[in-house]
Amino acid sequence: MPTTPLIVNRPQRWDAAFDPAMTDEDAQRLMFTAPFSQMSEEKFPKRTPLRDILRNDSRIRRFKQGEIIVRHGDYGTSAFLILNGAARVVLKPPLPARMLGRAESKKKNVFRMLSQAWNSWREPESFRLAQLRADVGVDARTGTGEDVHVFLQDLPRVLNQHRTEAMQGGEFFGEIAALSRMPRTSTIFADTDDTELLEVRWQGLRDLMKYDDALQKHIESVYRERALRSYLRAIPIFKHLTKEQENVVVGQTEFATYGDYDWSGDYKKLLKSGGAARPDQEPVVAAEGDYPNGVVFVRAGFARMSQKFGNGQRTLNYLGAGQNFGFREIAHNWRKRDAPVDLQHSLRAIGYAHFIIVPTEVMEKIVLPTVPVRELPELIEPKAEEISSRRDSHAAEKIGTDLMEFLAEHRFFNGTATMLIDLDRCTRCDDCVRACASTHDNNPRFLRHGPSNGRVMVANACMHCADPVCMIGCPTGAIHRESAAGQVVINPLTCIGCSLCANNCPYEAIRMTEIRDTDGAFLVDKSLRPISKATKCDLCVENHGGPACERACPHGALTRMNMGDLDTFAKWLKR
Amino acid sequence: MTSFTRQRWAGLLFLIGATAVAWFAHAHWSARLTAWDYFTGWVLFAVMVMLTVFNARKKIPFLPLGTSEGWLQFHIYSGYLTIALLLVHLRFRPPGSGFGITLFVLYAIVTGSGIAGLVLTRVLPRRLTTRGGEVIYEKIPTVRRSLQQQAESLALAAIPGAKSTTIADFYARRLRDYFNGPRDFWLHLAESRRPLSSVMDELNDLRRFLNNDERAALDKIAALVRQKDGLDYHHALQTTLKLWLFVHLPFTYGLMLFTLAHIVIVYAFSGGAK
Repeated sequence: MPTTPLIVNRPQRWDAAFDPAMTDEDAQRLMFTAPFSQMSEEKFPKRTPLRDILRNDSRIRRFKQGEIIVRHGDYGTSAFLILNGAARVVLKPPLPARMLGRAESKKKNVFRMLSQAWNSWREPESFRLAQLRADVGVDARTGTGEDVHVFLQDLPRVLNQHRTEAMQGGEFFGEIAALSRMPRTSTIFADTDDTELLEVRWQGLRDLMKYDDALQKHIESVYRERALRSYLRAIPIFKHLTKEQENVVVGQTEFATYGDYDWSGDYKKLLKSGGAARPDQEPVVAAEGDYPNGVVFVRAGFARMSQKFGNGQRTLNYLGAGQNFGFREIAHNWRKRDAPVDLQHSLRAIGYAHFIIVPTEVMEKIVLPTVPVRELPELIEPKAEEISSRRDSHAAEKIGTDLMEFLAEHRFFNGTATMLIDLDRCTRCDDCVRACASTHDNNPRFLRHGPSNGRVMVANACMHCADPVCMIGCPTGAIHRESAAGQVVINPLTCIGCSLCANNCPYEAIRMTEIRDTDGAFLVDKSLRPISKATKCDLCVENHGGPACERACPHGALTRMNMGDLDTFAKWLKR
Repeated sequence: MTSFTRQRWAGLLFLIGATAVAWFAHAHWSARLTAWDYFTGWVLFAVMVMLTVFNARKKIPFLPLGTSEGWLQFHIYSGYLTIALLLVHLRFRPPGSGFGITLFVLYAIVTGSGIAGLVLTRVLPRRLTTRGGEVIYEKIPTVRRSLQQQAESLALAAIPGAKSTTIADFYARRLRDYFNGPRDFWLHLAESRRPLSSVMDELNDLRRFLNNDERAALDKIAALVRQKDGLDYHHALQTTLKLWLFVHLPFTYGLMLFTLAHIVIVYAFSGGAK
């Protein structure tokens, strides 16, 4: 057995540049372009100089007139700076779904439902050629390489029927969606034929903000104005604030992002190696026993609330968008100044999470005095870490610590429609699989198999995630959220089979399926390569009555569960 | 009260109520109404049609026809109700003719297999869960082949190092057949540990004749044997969960055909309902 260790280069941050085609000349040119020309190079550390950030974390992209840059509702990981030319943002009304490559949300009528009984093709995923050649509302053209350019059709009509606004050279856009992992709020397309944009991926944007005060101030002020104010207004404890008080809170609120934006790749590697996500490997947002510096609101992503147990951490709950951490302790300390308490639990970011932190001082001086006593959380009993933990661990107690750890380890709490199977009731009859196949062109969109804990199996089906990693980067917008209820669906007619969504999905719930014509023959392109489409569970959005899998289970063993709703989950377990 | 308990109570109340109505009707009208037998026959047939339609509903899952779970509950309790309806239809007398006896036997098989199926579908899934090692039924042959190949490779790989064919001989004599297909169906169904313990005992006996390297190989083979045992267990129970339907469904269609013939014969020889 060899005893000499194999020596390899330690992986470095810029081993994989955002665009390998970026040259030193490009970076040099950017150094003379505003706002980078106004940035002080000395403020950047030697390990991450400004020039290298531009060289490795950005890329120059050129767009033709009418070409879509970002789509309303898409998730993106990068921000854009207009270098040359102009872009145009669509304000009102938003562009119709069809123009963005999405399927129009439509339930099947009675005739279409009935016709499924005799109209299904024998082979899975069969398409009529006319379907594939029809105008799908999107003009997608392949570039020199594998890149795809998508253009708006009938641009004059778009300009005529929608209020738009021009954006000129030097303007940034897309930075809030990139940093907070929220969906893009508008569609932006190139306004001139020679539009040149600098696309900066989130890691680069984060560093630029970190070392350049002006950019940080600019982005934060945009964030505060466009996103933060409306977000805080939706939280009950801030609803009693006056306009002036709200301005102070908005002005002093901090933002923080933790974890890895591209967590799905690392997570998949971890799973393949047989490992599991462990709390001690996750970045700590706030530690048990520390002074509470502020109330932490989860804006996007997920965080694990845990408590020290033995030499490890016991998961008590996981917090998703809209939930907060530390409010109870701060409210307690404000009311009981003579008996302050430290943080009762730890908070760790799982994957990637974006937080909004309202500092303790702001909470105590401005927010808490406006909150009626009945809306304040209960006081934390003195000498009662055990008691308080018992109360706060209520979430874990509902479903059991073991199951809670299982869900956290596998990151299943991301699902808003996770397929759960009660193995004590499941007769393995596969009626669910057959129902899915009958409803979806003979191609069952899930596997009745997956990780299990006790009698609960999480089947390999799209969970319609709260944080849909699969939606990042779809070139044609084929994968999107269905507007009505937020299901993640794929428009097969605009899917170009690039596999990006399937590779991104951390749960392996998207499959690339080779499509056929109605005679059952595989469809191939000019180079005789089979044409594939991404397929996945669509929660039967077009059908009446809900998901066919759930309705088909005779024994009530299968359900689609929002994992953010532990009460319903607990009830389902104790049926 | 849990939702399943509520569901059971609702079904039981429906069954008791419907049976009471049938009983009451029989007591009051069976002697007075000339067409009583026709009436009870048609009611029984209608319920039987509803019971049979459950399988058809499964074939059209894309139509919003309610949940399969609801249909099954109706199927179960209406199935029990047919016992009362049949007794009323027979006026609590045994069937008289050969055709009647055939119908009765068919009905008994369908009902009996249905009740047996219900018991199996309530008992076996829990046993499978407790045992663990979940596997998709259609994948069992593939997994078994993989285990077989691994075991065979281990047995063969042990020969050069040990300069002995002890493990390989044992594999050829005892394990090749064991890994070759599903084994001990009935013993697994009866929850017996004998299939595994008998192989493990023989493996343990063999250990005393092996050197350290061979013992390590044997330990790995023993782990594969345990996996194979689990696979056989799943095969036995999952097969049973599927097989009972192969009794229930064909006999159901047979019963329906005989029932239709019964209706035709009754009307042909009586001149229709009086």
